[in-house]
Amino acid sequence: MQIFIRIVSGLSRFAGFLATLLLGLAVLVVCQMIVVRYFLNASTVWQTEFVIYALVAATFIGSPYVLIRKGHVGVDLIPNALSGRGRIVLDVLAAVLSLVFLCILTWSGWHYFYEAWQGRWTTDTVWALPLWIPLLPLPLGMGLLCLQYVAEILRIVSGEGEGPALSAHGFKDIEGMAD
Amino acid sequence: MTPLMSGLIVLMVLLVLLATGMPIAFALGLVAVGALVLTDGWGVIDIVGETFFAGLAEFGLVSIPMFILMGAAVASSPAGKDLYEALDRWLNRVPGGLILSNIGACSVFAALSGSSPATCAAIGKMGIPEMQQRGYPDTIAAGSIAAGGTLGILIPPSVTMIVYGIATETSIGRLFIAGLLPGLMLTVLFMIWAIIDCRRQGYSFEQAAQRFTLRQKLEALPRVLPFLAIIVAILYVLYGGVATPSEAAGAGALFCILLVVVIYQLIPKRRIDFASLGKVFGDSIRESIMIMLIIAASELFSFALSSMFVTQSVAEWIAALEVNRWVLMGIVNLFLLVAGFFLPPVAVILMTAPILIPIILQAGFDPYWFAVVLTINMEIGLITPPVGLNLYVINGIAPDISLKSILVGSLPFVLCMVLGILLLCVFPGIATWLPEYMMGAAI
Repeated sequence: MQIFIRIVSGLSRFAGFLATLLLGLAVLVVCQMIVVRYFLNASTVWQTEFVIYALVAATFIGSPYVLIRKGHVGVDLIPNALSGRGRIVLDVLAAVLSLVFLCILTWSGWHYFYEAWQGRWTTDTVWALPLWIPLLPLPLGMGLLCLQYVAEILRIVSGEGEGPALSAHGFKDIEGMAD
Repeated sequence: MTPLMSGLIVLMVLLVLLATGMPIAFALGLVAVGALVLTDGWGVIDIVGETFFAGLAEFGLVSIPMFILMGAAVASSPAGKDLYEALDRWLNRVPGGLILSNIGACSVFAALSGSSPATCAAIGKMGIPEMQQRGYPDTIAAGSIAAGGTLGILIPPSVTMIVYGIATETSIGRLFIAGLLPGLMLTVLFMIWAIIDCRRQGYSFEQAAQRFTLRQKLEALPRVLPFLAIIVAILYVLYGGVATPSEAAGAGALFCILLVVVIYQLIPKRRIDFASLGKVFGDSIRESIMIMLIIAASELFSFALSSMFVTQSVAEWIAALEVNRWVLMGIVNLFLLVAGFFLPPVAVILMTAPILIPIILQAGFDPYWFAVVLTINMEIGLITPPVGLNLYVINGIAPDISLKSILVGSLPFVLCMVLGILLLCVFPGIATWLPEYMMGAAI
């Protein structure tokens, strides 16, 4: 079980790193696009779509990392008021409910990806990017998020750390709060 | 079952789910999927992924992670300290100048960083001890910083406004400009109250003993002006329609990162400090993904509501009531205020926009004006319990001030914001004049 938690968390952190790279890349491409459009007066072909899909991909594959960092905001009034067993039960319930939705989303996302793959769909722009490429991060990222949730549930049940719900909007993470 | 009834049930289920503490995004998604399955059967599962994806694949959304990145870069630097020092040097001789420079620094830093808690932390860490040292009452020191930090979601560039623009299909550039004067108005209201309160509590303003020479005053500027220039440039670009908000945000993010790297020498000994840069990116990713997932889930949520005809029925129902439009606005405000007590601004906007906007438009209110009123309501939620984020941040950086003093100090500023909303109702021009003057009448 420990090994499972460690492998999944490692994967999630790596995915988070990829998401960070995508964000950095998107910033550079936006700036390149500005230069091409406004300074060289040329038209751009792939930049707009690239930036959109890079950030969509970053959102999906980065979300397991956000879960590790307790970044998915929730209303934590009741969980915080509880302690001991009650807290564990509520945290597990919250995680299981999230998992239900995420499994449906993963399955549905996979289905959508598969259709795009089979039908050889492309985006309806000049670039005509095969649609399965931007769609793949949806089932991948959400699938990993499901696994990360299972890992979180295992961690709560085994009595390590607090649940996936967030502590007061995660303000402890804010720059300068640590010292 | 009537649509109104099913809408009510959806709301109840959503509240129960949120109470478990599960992430807002997934609670919204689960309710939406449940409602869709109950109305249209299991086949509807197929389109969940498609709707979720479509909710994110939009160029307008690109501006959100970019502006967050820009803010994170600024927040990671000592820009807050410099801003504060610069204002202090200039306002030093004015009676109560310290409080003015605190609130002023808050509003500028909040605009740049776009984050209320980061502003409270950055300005408060220097401002609060300085005010205490010069004998200002604790309540005012804490309250002014807590309130000043909230201004970031109103003064452009503001992620909250972008989310409103996307949820309501209004112009983001116009929203930014609409928020400018009301933001300044609130800043001034906060300053006036802080001065009044100081006098009320018997604090006598003395002129500060230290005098700064003109040279010292000018020296403080070079580190501050580039950041101000970025805000002005973004506004100029957006109002002129030169570039889209996403492009402005992307360029703003790159410039801010470069500025921070150059001015604050994130590159010591010619080596880039990858750890700090990584933290900036990691923090931005965390914040943006949280918001993006709520956006995608709310797309699913509003799709579910409209396919159950809830959206349309509520609007019709309200219209049939024929209440006075200002009574209606009062009720809407009260509703937003309560929602803001519990939920973060972005979530409130995304969850309520599909229902509220048709009602607001039907009653003849300007959507840009309403954006400002809504945002001020959200600001109040940031400094009121139970989840008033800024209160906890102040508590964290100034542990010697009791939570009670922070609360007592913040409450009058809440009243300032309520006063601000009332002023906006009496003089809607505060929000609508500048956009109309600069961009022409709204379509």
